[in-house]
Amino acid sequence: MAAVPQTTTSERLPPPRSEVGAYGWVRQNLFNSWFNSVLTVVSVAVIVLVLVFGLRWIIAGADWTVIGVLGGQMVIGQYNTAAACPGQNCFWRPQVSLLLVSALLGMAWAIAGGGVAKRLAIGVVVILALFALLPYSFERMGVDVRLLLVANIPAMLAGWAIAHYTRMTGRGIAIYGVATFLVTLVLLRGIPGVPWLQPVLVIYWGGITLNILLAVVGISLSLPIGIALALGRRSNLAIPLGDAIIHILRKLFKDGPLSTFEKRLENWIGEVGGSQLVAWGTWFIRLVFNLNIVKLVCVVFIEVFRGVPLITLLFMSQVLVPLAFPEDFNTNSLFRAGTIITLFSSAYMAENIRGGLQALHPGQAEAARALGLAGWQATMLISLPQAIRNVIPAIVGQFIALFKDTSLVYIIGMLDVVEISRAFIQGNAQYLGNAKELFIFLALVFWVFTYTMSYVSQRVEDHLGVGRR
Amino acid sequence: MAQLRGLLTYQGVEVWRHTRVLQWTLQIVSGIVVVVLVAWFFTNIATAVQDREIPHGWSFLDRAYQTPIGQHILPYESSNSFGYALIVAIVNTVVVSVVGVILATILGIVIGVARLSSNWLVSKLAMVYIEFFRNVPLLVQLFFWFYIILALPPVREGYVIGKGLFINNAGFSMPFPSAPGTGPALLWILLALVALLAGRAVYQFLLARETNTGQRSYPLLTGLATAVVIGAISWVVISLAASDSPLVISSPHPEGRFGRIEGGFTAPAGMVVLLVGLVTYTASFMAEIVRAGIQSVRRGQTEASRALGLTPMETLRYVTFPQALRVIIPPLISQFLNLTKNSSLAGAIGYADLTNVAKTMTQTAPAVSIFLLIMAAYLAMSLTYSLIGNLYNRHIRFTGG
Repeated sequence: MAAVPQTTTSERLPPPRSEVGAYGWVRQNLFNSWFNSVLTVVSVAVIVLVLVFGLRWIIAGADWTVIGVLGGQMVIGQYNTAAACPGQNCFWRPQVSLLLVSALLGMAWAIAGGGVAKRLAIGVVVILALFALLPYSFERMGVDVRLLLVANIPAMLAGWAIAHYTRMTGRGIAIYGVATFLVTLVLLRGIPGVPWLQPVLVIYWGGITLNILLAVVGISLSLPIGIALALGRRSNLAIPLGDAIIHILRKLFKDGPLSTFEKRLENWIGEVGGSQLVAWGTWFIRLVFNLNIVKLVCVVFIEVFRGVPLITLLFMSQVLVPLAFPEDFNTNSLFRAGTIITLFSSAYMAENIRGGLQALHPGQAEAARALGLAGWQATMLISLPQAIRNVIPAIVGQFIALFKDTSLVYIIGMLDVVEISRAFIQGNAQYLGNAKELFIFLALVFWVFTYTMSYVSQRVEDHLGVGRR
Repeated sequence: MAQLRGLLTYQGVEVWRHTRVLQWTLQIVSGIVVVVLVAWFFTNIATAVQDREIPHGWSFLDRAYQTPIGQHILPYESSNSFGYALIVAIVNTVVVSVVGVILATILGIVIGVARLSSNWLVSKLAMVYIEFFRNVPLLVQLFFWFYIILALPPVREGYVIGKGLFINNAGFSMPFPSAPGTGPALLWILLALVALLAGRAVYQFLLARETNTGQRSYPLLTGLATAVVIGAISWVVISLAASDSPLVISSPHPEGRFGRIEGGFTAPAGMVVLLVGLVTYTASFMAEIVRAGIQSVRRGQTEASRALGLTPMETLRYVTFPQALRVIIPPLISQFLNLTKNSSLAGAIGYADLTNVAKTMTQTAPAVSIFLLIMAAYLAMSLTYSLIGNLYNRHIRFTGG
């Protein structure tokens, strides 16, 4: 007789307490083995120590007045000193170009229709407006300066309104961006003869403005130059001079006047050795004489600029450029720094883009050619866009590296935000003990900029589906 | 007209539409442009050199440099030649680069592994470290460490960490072996190497036997014992023969009224700052590379290894990390090169590296020659690292099976 299966319903138990809730999370993430428990205890000890001593130092030990004393010099360097701008207040000039940039951000918001552009635009202008509340005396920081800072909010909104109601396109914002950059340069440099725009030498440009200017130039130029270099390095359009030489030699040796020589050679070193010699010879002739000048130039350029530290290139440019160009070819240090940083960055950019092109399946270009696109169309419309999208993280990493590298212009005597701080500490011995505070502050400033860049990049990557297609 | 058209066609296509003709033209034009540009630069430099009587050529290498070099590892005096001063500077850079690469790799691997730890707190701490050190310019970090070192007490009242370890605003001092006589020391180092090789051979032999026969023979212990015994015997023999130990540990100790540390090895302050800055900065990049490499190993590998009973540590050591190395090595090499190139920031904190010395030299020596020498030196360093990396990469590459 078969046993009748019994069905009983037992009470449904809640999950074990060690797997859910806060207690479960702590158990699984902090104390899931004895080794992890030890790590957790040590980490907590380190955090508590750092917090206790760090906070005590920040609040009681540290003296942050040095940042306030340096103040505007960190923003614009010696631009507004009596030596740079005698008898005038020139501070409004960088501030007006800042208004143009705020308008640009507003336009970007209108075109992108929200998202990261909106957050960036609002965040930047709100922070700028908050700077108007800095607790300086009105002699140190005038009402005009404060009002121009607050004006960034309406400027951004105006940019948004213009772009929104004129239905501005990407091309329009690009034109406005270039125009903003040129106007900024003219405003900062000044025009001789115009009374309220008297020229200011570029040696007085400095502070974080200089870092940002150099970074903007470098970022916007190094990408196109890098693309050109990458394409040049990948070009396989050799002038087949070597092939021609081999062709002529073959004619001469096989059925020409020298045909007996080849016979004698083969008798001398044997048939196999002879054909091997011929194979090596043709390989060598192709290597030497199949000229690809474009590729050669690109490879030499990329490897030289990647092989030498930026700082070496910068200081050698200072020594060599006056020698290599005629004497009446005047370059100022800003121009030189911008050129060298751009070229240096484009060498690295070229390698990033070359990596992207290499990772692309050759079928993409082949399909494009099969559909009737010309070679350059296949590259520009099919290969490059995909290659660039795939290496966006590397490109943005290079942009961040470039922004950090702008701090190296100290080597040619430019007073960027780092160098002006160092020079201030060096020149004012009473602040020598507060150098730590100053450089911690600078680290935070740079961190905010670079972190914003990588944040924007992550949003763009999500938007373009990098790594998901 | 027809004749003209015939002249302007190649392989039946008009020349301005023939891809190959266009490409050749581009090549030839760019070749001419490059040659003209280079020639123009050289003429300009040549005229400038002649007109302004700027020093040129290579004869300066034998001239006395007559400028002090702040911190040097090789012995150096101002009367030494330019050529020797350059070698001193290159050694300064190479030492920082090699020590920095070793330390940064260790720190980078530790932080990269910590970033992937199943411990939430450790992982987040590693993330904070990476995000901070990676995103702040190295120059700012170097200045920060520089002013920290400056704020340390002078030698007389400096910190003493344990026995013979000093840290103060002159640098970091530690005990270091020193040789009373060169001959015995070299002989013993040679024999010690032989001892290590012998120990390794014994270890491998016993390990193979244990794997094949299952007979327990403690390969690691026996191998180590072999090495130690051979090393100790040769130490005693050499000590008896030379009536002095081949090597003695020299411990640093403060000397003099103004405080100067004698004996041991003292890393000068500039070098300490540079190393700390370079190592913490580069390690943050290396940690990201290590993390990406470990994550590139397929999940099934970890799961299979855990299913076979290996602990998480053993899984990392024997399964995940060896496979991740293949992905990690190439970008790691480029970080080695970055560290070497970044050591050129030494000038900002007063350490006499290659770039810094070369910069001073351009005031009295031909700039073009010096630039070529610097490029050659950095290129040689890059090639050496690439070579070592590629050899190691070949050693560990995926051989199938």
